[in-house]
Amino acid sequence: MPKQWKIKVILILIVAAAVITAGIQLYNHRHYRMLLTAGPGVTKVHMLSDYCSGLKGTMADTHVFFLKGKEPGGKMLILANTHSNEPASLLAALIFLENAVVEKGTLIIIPQFNNSGGRNTRPGDGYPLYFEIQTSWGTKKFRMGNRDASPLDQWPDPDVYVHYPDKQLLSFLDIRNTNRTWPGRPNGALMEKVTYAAMELMRTEKVDMTVDIHGAETMFPVTNCIVAPEKAIRIATMTSLTLKAREGFDNHVEPSPSGFRGLSHREIGDFSDTLPFLLEAPLPFLDQPTGPKTVKLLLDGKDPFLLSLAKKNKLFVPYDESGWPMENRVGQHCSAVLELLRQFSRKSPDRSIQVKNVPRYAGIVKNGVGYYYHNPATINKKDLYFN
Amino acid sequence: MKKITRTAFYTVITCGFILYLALPVGAEEIPKAKYPILTTSAGQSPDVTTVNIVCEEAEIKYDYCDVPDIEILSAGVGLAGKESGEGFHSEVHSDLEKFPAGTPYKTMIIAIGASLKGMGASGLTVNDEVNRLKKIIDYCKDNEIFIIGVHVGGVSKRGAQGSDNEKMIDAVAPFTDYLIVTNDSNKDGRFTDIAAEKNIPLTEIEFALNLVEILQQVFTE
Repeated sequence: MPKQWKIKVILILIVAAAVITAGIQLYNHRHYRMLLTAGPGVTKVHMLSDYCSGLKGTMADTHVFFLKGKEPGGKMLILANTHSNEPASLLAALIFLENAVVEKGTLIIIPQFNNSGGRNTRPGDGYPLYFEIQTSWGTKKFRMGNRDASPLDQWPDPDVYVHYPDKQLLSFLDIRNTNRTWPGRPNGALMEKVTYAAMELMRTEKVDMTVDIHGAETMFPVTNCIVAPEKAIRIATMTSLTLKAREGFDNHVEPSPSGFRGLSHREIGDFSDTLPFLLEAPLPFLDQPTGPKTVKLLLDGKDPFLLSLAKKNKLFVPYDESGWPMENRVGQHCSAVLELLRQFSRKSPDRSIQVKNVPRYAGIVKNGVGYYYHNPATINKKDLYFN
Repeated sequence: MKKITRTAFYTVITCGFILYLALPVGAEEIPKAKYPILTTSAGQSPDVTTVNIVCEEAEIKYDYCDVPDIEILSAGVGLAGKESGEGFHSEVHSDLEKFPAGTPYKTMIIAIGASLKGMGASGLTVNDEVNRLKKIIDYCKDNEIFIIGVHVGGVSKRGAQGSDNEKMIDAVAPFTDYLIVTNDSNKDGRFTDIAAEKNIPLTEIEFALNLVEILQQVFTE
């Protein structure tokens, strides 16, 4: 064999080895079965496809957990992993799922709202495929996902995404972003079906309020905040003022812009009677000028480049050597959800929702997130859900 | 007899000390103001929404206009029937049985804080806003309308000398009859200095939520 051919064959083998190795890792990541533990408050479990048949049998279908109290009352829907690369949302939702006991009203939790996005990654940014949370009984492993649904589940992307029904022109990528496809439609793209199913859930179940939990860059102004439209701004503002006064952390209110379509905090309110809220906690991992996107950065939020920028007042949140740890972010989310519930219940006593056994900010910061997850070995198998 | 006098003396001292501790940080005597009330913004930041919601929480009825001019202000309760539209927001929550449409306002609460986005939405430049404020403050002075300046935006609604936020403070704070500010907003003592120089009562509160109890005291007859 001539020397030139030998080199070509060797190069092909190297490329094939890289493709196969990465392909196996990505295949395993996409099919990794993450454990969801239903706590004592869970009364029934549905699939999102029960509200839009077009999701049945697809990777976008996902579990919907109902926690119904003994007394009738209002209903709150919690959406997590709308963006699956903002995992404090998932961790907060799982604390509710494993611990919450509803005394009055109903909690509905969708921990992996963009289930396809949770099986996607961002190789160009070198995202880790998994991360682990320490608990007293070992580690709990999670899939690290991406902002958008996997192109394996929704393809091709259009040149320009035309939002339905407003016809606003959005980035082509946002057609796979479940925070741009609200209110959705039953015969649209797969992610439009996901948001349509959630709208149907809210309409048929008569959900009073929906909280969509996110994380945002420290260099982005809409961070560390509650985003709410006009009809929900009063509850959001009282929640923000109370959290600052009673729990000592900032969570300012951002009005939902009426001219920017497709977002949960805009369309849910416009297309249903539900009051929408979107929570943002600072997530240094998402910022662009950071070091490598490691699990450590994801969990402790410490980065020397952000620290340098903070000293030049380039960030929108306070930032020092302590970073912005996961337990702070999850704690903020849990407290914000509980306070939204309290403020809503004060103003609408006939639709009040009372939840107990969910920790607040100080407890989660002190004990860590893993403290609130239960050992699956001690849980009845019927309460374990794999996804 | 001596013993009773001494007991009474210590009781008064102890009660006084407890009352002192119960007062908000930096509190002086809290002045009284009268209904009807108009709330508005100096700088069009969302802090006026906070003030409105705090009023509702305190069960204080008010009218709201984001950019009132003299015509609207002088029309009194009901804001001359002007309805919200692009770049203009009005709400009427006053008790119309007690204060029918047209009743002159007795108090104006101004939320101080600049937002270029907010001013842009109202079609105002910083100078337009300052000029508008000057006119309505002059009207209030001429018509004995009590002005309460509120700054609860903290450091995010402060800035370097001459910045938009500081221009709003310059335009309003020295001309108020009462100032309520959060500790964060007054870290550099700017409001303390203005209050001292102009002899304006100042209440410093730790959190914006404390505004509820302060406004309740201001409007309790």
